[in-house]
Amino acid sequence: MNRQIKRRGIVGYGFIAPALVFYAIFFGFPVVFSLLASFKRWNMLTPFSEARFVGFKHYIYLFENELFMRALLNTCLYALITVPVTIFLALIFANLIHHSKFPALWRFLYFTPIVTPPVAIGTIWNYLYRPNNGILNQLLGFFGLKPIYWLTDPNTVLFSVMITAVWAGIGSSLLIFSAGIQNIPQAYYDAAEIDGAGPIVQFWKITVPMLRPSILFLTATGMITAWQVFDLPFIMGKNAPSKSIMTISGYVYETAFQSVRMGRASAGAFILFVVIFIVTLFILRAFKKGGINGYE
Amino acid sequence: MVMNDFEVRRKKIKPKKLFLTILKYTVLLIGAFCMVLPFFWMISASLMTPEELISDTPRWLPEVPQWQNYLEVPKRVPILKYYKNSLITAGISTLLVLLTSSLAGYAFAKIKFRGRRQLFRLVLATMMFPVFIFLIPNFYLMKQLGWISNYLSLIVPFAVSGYGIFLIRQFVMSIPDDLIDSARIDGAGELKIYWRIILPIIKPAMATLATLTFISMWNSFLWPLIVTSSFPELMTLPVGVSRLSLSFSSAENQHLIVTGLVYQVVPMVVLFLYLQKNYIKGFMLSGFGDL
Repeated sequence: MNRQIKRRGIVGYGFIAPALVFYAIFFGFPVVFSLLASFKRWNMLTPFSEARFVGFKHYIYLFENELFMRALLNTCLYALITVPVTIFLALIFANLIHHSKFPALWRFLYFTPIVTPPVAIGTIWNYLYRPNNGILNQLLGFFGLKPIYWLTDPNTVLFSVMITAVWAGIGSSLLIFSAGIQNIPQAYYDAAEIDGAGPIVQFWKITVPMLRPSILFLTATGMITAWQVFDLPFIMGKNAPSKSIMTISGYVYETAFQSVRMGRASAGAFILFVVIFIVTLFILRAFKKGGINGYE
Repeated sequence: MVMNDFEVRRKKIKPKKLFLTILKYTVLLIGAFCMVLPFFWMISASLMTPEELISDTPRWLPEVPQWQNYLEVPKRVPILKYYKNSLITAGISTLLVLLTSSLAGYAFAKIKFRGRRQLFRLVLATMMFPVFIFLIPNFYLMKQLGWISNYLSLIVPFAVSGYGIFLIRQFVMSIPDDLIDSARIDGAGELKIYWRIILPIIKPAMATLATLTFISMWNSFLWPLIVTSSFPELMTLPVGVSRLSLSFSSAENQHLIVTGLVYQVVPMVVLFLYLQKNYIKGFMLSGFGDL
């Protein structure tokens, strides 16, 4: 029996072997390589071993660089605003849909952006946001409002991209909330009804607390994704001053694949990693305080 | 029973409740309008003439639908090749993710071996690393391996998904141990158990994982953009479509950009409409709702 268990253990390793080999090559190697590269001056054309070691030069440069600091600030604003707004709106709409007729139809309407490539979303919204012949400014005019220079005004462009991001992101949160709401026992609502609680009280006192695990999960994954945002600002920010819409990812992309400064770009990527690491730890602490111990 | 229903219905028609119902559907309708508007505009604009598309007063509908736009795009852009590339890369990497996730997910859930907990934590930790750390080293690796000029560079780096392993593991955990143990006593090997018992049970989770992986691969932009920048032959749909704006920047070609977008968006929406039920059911079965 004991030998059988031992043999089974070896089979277990065999089952995870493909994943482990993959992680060693496409995860372990890149992390070490990136860290080393962030201390070197390297343009990918010369062999990596011959690249000159420059110490913390790239990190110091980045923290003194105005564009990178703006990218850090923009990304921070983007993450801190889009994630909660998306989750809040998704929560409200998931709740409304659950208590309505034709839930499948509503869900489909709200889910559709999930399957739409961000590149396509950005391009469509570029047209909607056109200052003179876009339909959004036409709608504003219809309500007697002045046109907005959505994507060209440096003070507006980041917020315009955030609106699109919320629009695009609502569906996946809604999906998870919809699944969660269906698991809340109807008895809770019935009891609340007997006690005379209206739908708004029921929402805050039953639905939101019962969905707390999903809310925390979406906050954690949403933050990790939002800090890495690339596609939408890349597609939508071409007509604005680069400072106003630059993100950390955009900065790393441009530094690596346009200026071919691999060392500096790696340093930028590592700073992004540290930021995400801290944010995630922070959220995991909130998980624990909320009574949810990781995923185990 | 009939009486009961009648009473319930009569209670519902209180003015406050009626007001809330109207409010609910108004909010839902406004929301739906905002969600649908960009898609509506895209379809409508794909049938416009270039003049209509750039006219000073924005148009909501074309005067005469220009169906030939849809024939013109494949003539001017290798859109079929983009389709083929996207299908091959998203399809094969989805199959690989299903295979590696189900093997590892089963092992992490039901086979005891030394270091299982630690290794699983490592898998979870990988999800926290930003893709940007891997971009440069993996690009370099692909170059060194000589994979940059073929599909391998678009497929292999996505063959394993930490999220997938996590999803399948959660699902397999809910399978009773007795089922597996009795098969073991009957002398079935782990591979046989995986193939005969586990795989049939986890089908819904696999369907969810397949849908999620395929969509995210189909939509992925940054890595294909970097890898295929000097190999137009390999460009996937999002990269190809993102170049429409560059190649058709002049006013008389504007309509081709929007029509190209429809080519990219509509197949996925149709597929999603078809899979929607599975997709949501899989989500609920995998316990994601009350994670």
